[in-house]
Amino acid sequence: MNTKNILKFCVIGSVGVATLGLTLVFNASPAVAHGERSQEPFLRMRTAQWYDTRWNPGKTAVNDEAMLSGKMHIAEDWPRAVVRPTRTFINVGSPSSVFTRLSSKVNGTPMFTSGPMELGGDYEYVIKLRARLPGHHHIHPMLAVNGAGPIAGPGGWMDITGNHKDFTNPIKLLVGGTVDTETAGLAQGIFWHILWGGLGFLWIGWFMVRPMFLIRARVLAQEGGDELMNDPADRVAAYVMLGVCFTIIAIGFFVTDSQYPYTVPLQAGAPLIKPTHLQSDLTMKVLAADYDVPGRALRMTLTVTNNGETPLRIGEFTTAGIRFLNKVGVANNMDPNYPAEIMALDGLNMEDDSPILPGETKDIKIDSRDSLWEFQRLMDLVHDPEQRFGGLVMSWDDSGNRHINSISGPVIPVFTRAQG
Amino acid sequence: MALFRTAEIIKASKLPPEGVKLSRMIDAIYFIPIAYFGVFATFHMHFDLLAGDWDFWIDWKDRQFWVTVTPIVEVMYPGAIMYYFWTFYRQPFGATLSITGLLVGKWITIVLAWYWWANFPANFVMPATMVSSALILDCTLLLTRSWMLTAIFGVWAFAMMFNPSNYPLFAYSHQPVVVDGQLLSLADYMGFTFVRTGTPEYIRIIEVGSLRTFGGHTVWISAFFSAFISMLMFTIWWQVGHFVGQSFFWVKGKRGVRYRKNDIMIVGTDEYALRHGTLPGVPAPVLEGKS
Ligand SMILES: [Cu+2]
Repeated sequence: MNTKNILKFCVIGSVGVATLGLTLVFNASPAVAHGERSQEPFLRMRTAQWYDTRWNPGKTAVNDEAMLSGKMHIAEDWPRAVVRPTRTFINVGSPSSVFTRLSSKVNGTPMFTSGPMELGGDYEYVIKLRARLPGHHHIHPMLAVNGAGPIAGPGGWMDITGNHKDFTNPIKLLVGGTVDTETAGLAQGIFWHILWGGLGFLWIGWFMVRPMFLIRARVLAQEGGDELMNDPADRVAAYVMLGVCFTIIAIGFFVTDSQYPYTVPLQAGAPLIKPTHLQSDLTMKVLAADYDVPGRALRMTLTVTNNGETPLRIGEFTTAGIRFLNKVGVANNMDPNYPAEIMALDGLNMEDDSPILPGETKDIKIDSRDSLWEFQRLMDLVHDPEQRFGGLVMSWDDSGNRHINSISGPVIPVFTRAQG
Repeated sequence: MALFRTAEIIKASKLPPEGVKLSRMIDAIYFIPIAYFGVFATFHMHFDLLAGDWDFWIDWKDRQFWVTVTPIVEVMYPGAIMYYFWTFYRQPFGATLSITGLLVGKWITIVLAWYWWANFPANFVMPATMVSSALILDCTLLLTRSWMLTAIFGVWAFAMMFNPSNYPLFAYSHQPVVVDGQLLSLADYMGFTFVRTGTPEYIRIIEVGSLRTFGGHTVWISAFFSAFISMLMFTIWWQVGHFVGQSFFWVKGKRGVRYRKNDIMIVGTDEYALRHGTLPGVPAPVLEGKS
């Protein structure tokens, strides 16, 4: 290879590095969504059905506490292609640990480790957080299912101001004293790495000061070469090094053992969380549903019976963390802090929006129509291995009591306007 | 009297002074940029693929799997690298080279990937160290000059010393804390408090299996088991070193037939010239003390 070729390679290499660098810079900075929309629609619609999600408060300073809370219904119609939720963990979907998690309770039970969840069960989670890294962060509740992976809930923005350097996360030890999780054990860890690393480099250096390779290889190829290279100085050094190693290990172990007389192994039990169940005076059955691809709408016909005492009106259909509301829903269930980009305030239409009277059974045609179906990539439903949809239908009586039904059923795609 | 036998070794190499000088330049270029960086980059990748999570996270370092998996994986590369440096150069630093190299890679990752890019504090992703074990392994090879004895005694100590030499680094993380009325180790709490979106809690394998039942001495039982598997691994990887480190080349004989020569280290020496002849115009060497 001549000089010109080497130069060429250098130029090509630098262009490559520059391209990679630019890609990283431009791709990393507008971290708007981190892939939640790429999850398959049937996974998002028929596994964890999220509602009442709250990001509170939306703005915090470093070290302030915040709360991520909400409810989750585990769909009865859990897809066959997804492993059952026998080992699950309610997690926080965030770009790195922008918050630390102080406490996480699901239906009042602390959830430090993974545990089973029941199909058809309802779970309310309250996650206490402490602001750690300044920035504008997209935060999701997340259900991680062993064997299926993380299932992201709706994402909301949380802003953190201040300086990461001021962050502390103290925790009280059972035997007394407090440590900070940001720095605990750091100094001694670095000390031991430097100590052992130093001895390691010293050992290699002992052989580097003498001819290392070519000369030794030539000598080794001769008769008696092996003998000659068995240098007494090396044998002494090896005995000394063995002595030093065993002594340091012993001192380190016994001193540490007396320093921490009370230790516990890692804890890995599973919390047993009792589910609650959705309450509704309505019973609902999906008669038929189709998905209007060009019109970006899910149209369903439900047979609804009111078994209660008061008339009820349907106000919201929520699926995959995306909410479709009508006037009833807006009046009863409007959280001004809910991210507008995953909510369609005029997204739910009914041909007949008269209330469902006590004792009445009727077929209702519901149309949830919004560009969100496409923008949130739920239109990809047609590419899923199971052509079924799911979601939660919410209804209210006149005094504002909410009734929630989890529905699911087969869905037929409609590809052209003529077909519909 | 000189500390080392360097002068005798140089004399025995029969290289002229300029050859000795050149060989030191080759040492410098070959050792640091090629051998050391090559080993640290590939060993780091190999180790992270096989035992990465155990080494990354403080709340994975249990008494059973961490203690079992780490020595088994960390003895593989040293086995092959030790074969190479010992067989061809009688250099007893293969294990120390591999494992300090691994840690150089680890610390680059901790600073650049974990701390700077992903914003995790370094104590949360503190790696274990096996440099102490590596030194013991290298010293055993130097003193026994036998890979078999090294596999039996050196590797045994390599695995058994893993827990006591790392206890000073991680004992603090086993102090008990109480959160929401539940007892946790500090390590569990750190795993909980630092949010890992893509690594949910259930991925951890904490003392699953029956080793736990041996009277509570889980860690020593695991280390013992690990030592036996490590011996096997060391032997296998020593043979991998042997397979990969084969050195031969093709020589054209007097009648124009090509044949394979295995002892390449003899090339260029007087013995070689005596056995295989010299180039036209070069007189045959005369060996002292031999006829
Ligand atoms: Cu997001």
